[in-house]
Amino acid sequence: MKKVVFMILTIMMVAVLVACGNGDEDSVDDQEANDETEGTTNGEGEAITAWAWDPNFNIRALELADQAYDGEVDLELEIIENAQDDIVQRLNTSLSSGTTQGMPNIVLIEDYRAQSFLQAYPDAFYPLTDYIDVDAFADYKIETTSLDGEQYGLPFDTGVAGLYIRTDYLEEAGYSVDDVQDITWAEYIQIGVDIKEATGNNMLTQDPSDLGLIRMMIQSAGTWYFEDDGSTPNLANNPALEAAMQAYRELMEANIVSMVSDWSQFVGAFNDGDVASVPTGNWITPSITAEESQSGNWAVVPFPKLEVEGATNVTNLGGSSWYVLNSDGKEAAATFLANTFGSNEMFYQDLIDEIGAIGTYLPGMQGEAFEEGHEFFDGQSIVADFSEWTEAIPAVNYGMHTYAIDDILAVELQNYLNDKELTDVLEDAQSQAETQLR
Amino acid sequence: MKKFKRILSYTFLSIATIISIYPFFWMVVSSTNASVDVTRGRQLPGTHLIENLTNLFDQVNIVTALTNSAIIAVLSTFLTLLIASLAGYGFEMYRSRGKDIAFNILLLSMMIPFAAIMVPLYRLFGRISHTAPLIGLDTLAAAFLPTITTAFFIFFFRQNTKMFPKDLIEAGRIDGLTELGIFFRIYMPTMKTTYAAAAIIAFMNSWNNFLWPLVVLQSPGKQTIPLLISNLGSSYSPDYGMIMSAITIATLPTALVFFFMQKHFVAGMMGSVKG
Repeated sequence: MKKVVFMILTIMMVAVLVACGNGDEDSVDDQEANDETEGTTNGEGEAITAWAWDPNFNIRALELADQAYDGEVDLELEIIENAQDDIVQRLNTSLSSGTTQGMPNIVLIEDYRAQSFLQAYPDAFYPLTDYIDVDAFADYKIETTSLDGEQYGLPFDTGVAGLYIRTDYLEEAGYSVDDVQDITWAEYIQIGVDIKEATGNNMLTQDPSDLGLIRMMIQSAGTWYFEDDGSTPNLANNPALEAAMQAYRELMEANIVSMVSDWSQFVGAFNDGDVASVPTGNWITPSITAEESQSGNWAVVPFPKLEVEGATNVTNLGGSSWYVLNSDGKEAAATFLANTFGSNEMFYQDLIDEIGAIGTYLPGMQGEAFEEGHEFFDGQSIVADFSEWTEAIPAVNYGMHTYAIDDILAVELQNYLNDKELTDVLEDAQSQAETQLR
Repeated sequence: MKKFKRILSYTFLSIATIISIYPFFWMVVSSTNASVDVTRGRQLPGTHLIENLTNLFDQVNIVTALTNSAIIAVLSTFLTLLIASLAGYGFEMYRSRGKDIAFNILLLSMMIPFAAIMVPLYRLFGRISHTAPLIGLDTLAAAFLPTITTAFFIFFFRQNTKMFPKDLIEAGRIDGLTELGIFFRIYMPTMKTTYAAAAIIAFMNSWNNFLWPLVVLQSPGKQTIPLLISNLGSSYSPDYGMIMSAITIATLPTALVFFFMQKHFVAGMMGSVKG
């Protein structure tokens, strides 16, 4: 009897494993296929995989690149869509365990996070210095995608920021689009107050846990949370950060800000016409134009500037770049990127036409697609404007811990709004950052 | 006075009910609205359900994801129940010297967060991928194998086994059943409610599990439902109506499992409290 039960149990276990195995046959085949193609080129072309997020943007860009590829080596590109946070989690787990199995050849990494990967896993990425002309890309992108003189990332989209503004609200308050070109934050606040008086609408939204606005402000003045080495916190004696915090507080005290707590409320606020302007990265364009009833009522003007030394009207929010993992297939992956994102000017026209993605490859940033007027923005050639600003974005080193500083500053910013002295606020943030990131 | 008390308690219960049901209501309503309406916080059912579903089925392979999730959830629930109940039964019924120490160590393991063992575990699966590809990285088996013996379920079964009448075991032995025979023929049928309660919890855990499947399941064909939904929300301009319809679909199986086993679930949970 005992034996029978044991037999049944064993059979059940085997059956379970086989059941799992059946679903996995593909993967075994895939692995074998990979083994065969790794490092060699057979008749079918070398298989490379790429991970990215956002089907309408990065994934489409990869698909277009796949079509545009005309290199000598035959390549089969497999594009896999993953959420950005998921890519970060997977890369971290895999790279810290030293297992590259199942990892892609090409991966998209946000610029703010790039240095943390490059510095934490020094041998995990394949240098692209010999594959691309580094000088052909916007300066500020090179700073964040390279380490110790080696170029690791192939710069992709720009997060160049602008001030999206409602022209009809401006008119109601007695302003024209010309009045909001190249303004300062003080002027912006004054206009905001006037618009609120005339229309009853707030000027912008803010999410207290998201310091994107502060980051944009300080980069426009050419500084960051860190010194140039990317690791020494630069919070306490940073005039630009001081000015940014002051501007933030003035915005709040002028009572022209709608508070939101997540992305959908942020998008909902301007789709609903509740706010008159959106100071953010150019990637917000599709969300703005989604509300067709507002067509013709928007314009994009340069980002307001701080009143400190070195301040400009151009800055950046977000943006990401392509990286090649240092594993089998790296040469093929690097060749693919160099042939498309790294040198093909026509391909950048397609990116604008098809998905509105503005790259950072300077030779590719001209031509018809860039000059075309956008109906929604009353005929303004917003792509040409954004491209022009991209070249002027001040280069800063984002360092390894941008988001860690964000968390610290978000708390201190609230203290500042609750009347804590600004110098104390920044000094406390500085010492907290020094302890935490030591 | 009595009536007043009644009104008060009903009011309180109604408010509590609304608070707990409202998120589900909003989820279902949003799945029938366009993305713009969802961001505006529209509370009424809309006319975009078909459109959202069409988009969903066009853009992602939700059927594969549902199948993967179902395979993982069913197998892991089955194995969890089998192994944990055997262990819990053994811990409670048999006498052995180091038993309580072993059990305490087991309970201690509940305090180690999963994130702490994730990297070593990943390494382990990476290693066995070469020798045993059927359970290595990027297989459905790898997604549930680490979760099939958890201290929680062993503890759960041990607590419930305290209610199991020992006389039945004696009776079984006298009738000539083997120890395993007693377990399968007497214990299992008697403890149906405990199994039902454990099954719901195990199924839900497995169905909703995110972190581990995220790192081990790399190819799109292996994606589970939570991974798929996570992807949907990743775009710069997410389609909230479509995401909400995906979430509604993802919630259905756990809701169904719960409704079918609700009676046993409540009885099983009561049992573990009494024990």
